Amino acid sequence: MATLVQAAPAAKVAEEGKIKRFDVHQIIQHAGLMLSFTVLVLTGLPLKFASLDISQWWIGVWGGIDVTRATHHFAAWIMLAVCLYHIGYLVYTVFIQKKPFPVKIIPTPGDAIQLFHEVSYYLGFRKAKPLVDRFNWKEKFDYWAIFWGMPVMFISGFIMMYPILATRVLPAWALPAALVAHSDEAMLALVWIVMIHIFFNHFSPSSFPMNTSIFTGKVSAAKYREEHPLEYERITQTAAEEGPTGAEPPEDTY
Amino acid sequence: MKKLTLFFVFGFAFVIALLVVSTGEARALDENSCLSCHGTEGFSKTNQAGQTVSLYVDVSKVNVSAHRYIDCTTCHSDDPHNVATPLTKLSLAEKCGTCHEYEYKLHLQSIHGQQLALGNPDVATCVDCHSPDPNPHSVIRTLEYNAPAYKKNIADTCAVCHNDEALMVDYGIVEKVYESYLRSFHGKAIDLGTYEPGALDEATCTNCHGSHDVKSVTDPGSPVAGMANLAVTCEQCHTGAGSQFAAGFLGHREASSDNIAPVHYTEIIFRIILISVIAFGAIVVVTAIVRFSINRWRK
Repeated sequence: MATLVQAAPAAKVAEEGKIKRFDVHQIIQHAGLMLSFTVLVLTGLPLKFASLDISQWWIGVWGGIDVTRATHHFAAWIMLAVCLYHIGYLVYTVFIQKKPFPVKIIPTPGDAIQLFHEVSYYLGFRKAKPLVDRFNWKEKFDYWAIFWGMPVMFISGFIMMYPILATRVLPAWALPAALVAHSDEAMLALVWIVMIHIFFNHFSPSSFPMNTSIFTGKVSAAKYREEHPLEYERITQTAAEEGPTGAEPPEDTY
Repeated sequence: MKKLTLFFVFGFAFVIALLVVSTGEARALDENSCLSCHGTEGFSKTNQAGQTVSLYVDVSKVNVSAHRYIDCTTCHSDDPHNVATPLTKLSLAEKCGTCHEYEYKLHLQSIHGQQLALGNPDVATCVDCHSPDPNPHSVIRTLEYNAPAYKKNIADTCAVCHNDEALMVDYGIVEKVYESYLRSFHGKAIDLGTYEPGALDEATCTNCHGSHDVKSVTDPGSPVAGMANLAVTCEQCHTGAGSQFAAGFLGHREASSDNIAPVHYTEIIFRIILISVIAFGAIVVVTAIVRFSINRWRK
């Protein structure tokens, strides 16, 4: 094997090199969010669809409604902790470390054009996919959907978790409205994650069977060039200017 | 030694015989052998008005009923063949009331009992909630899991009448009380809970409306009449609940522009967001699937 690698052209080796895309904090945040979300869905769905036989069975698997409810509450606190961790991380990276990348998640008019071009490509009106920088529109949409969804879920969830306290400070309608908001927003998040997030990160040709970048933090250079060509170009150019430092981009590019 | 062996053999045979003989079901008390005739299926008579009156009593149900050790003549007088038939709901309730005096008194003051006294045949009386049939011979205790008045079954029992739209409209009860209860926190908790008593520490119909003394919601004496009464009722379980807590109750109705309007608008806003976002995502995914399939096919 060693001889094979040595025999390969130098350009090919660089192609197989990995580019760091996420740091350890981002990996932890995604994992925490994913796990707490899964538990919340598993314990929340039987409450929304209480009349179904499968819900009755599933509640029995957990060991009763009290256990299911307690687990839902526990997972909610974990999710809140992950979100606070993310807020702290944002403040630290943007204002103290002054890294440029978190700012790149902010949507721009270019994202709408990118979406339009991407769907045009899918429909066959354009020959190639749009060129993407650090984040594509789907990644931005996922992020901001969560950014909107989390306060909705936390506020409505905690109103229902502490209804007596909540109605001391809030008007009476807050309680039934919280149930509506919590239930619908949860369905939105679940359907979006299952339909769009899972599809593009597991079933799109470049990701199948799984896009592992959010778990390892690394993406192969070839894939990076395909999926984030604009950022790839910038990384490799900077790297070339600073000398042959391998595929690792300089610290401040992500 | 031989004697001892024989002793053991007979003793063993005796115990086996005892076990075989005693595996029968529990038998109801029947001091006057009433069931030897009335336990025959199809046993009936034709009364003076020409009506056929069934005189059959299902022995298997009497054997497991709450009153199985109370003899027939306790309720059916000492001269049971000399009574007016058929019985009415009111005469049934009166009969139960000879022993269950307190419940009978409460029942007569309730909306069901008041209507019963007026001769209304629609309303529920003792056996409608305490007997699965509802037949007075199969009344079972409320702590039995299959009792209609067991906590987990109460809503279903009330629903027999109160979920009957045609019947309820005569009494001005247009709210879909059963469905809205099942949608509520309380209803879901009871529905998803097990039959264990510990899992049934949730409110059902009778917790707010009362049971034997159930009142019309228009009766000022009802525990749910008016916000002040409702708040007091909520507070029985939700310690510290105030009037704002009670006012958040949708009153067994769906939210609408007349009924807690902000909830109605919240529903509309979230429905619009849900449908538009999911539709948008579906379009992107479907077009992507088409493109990926074409690309793969062309390869």
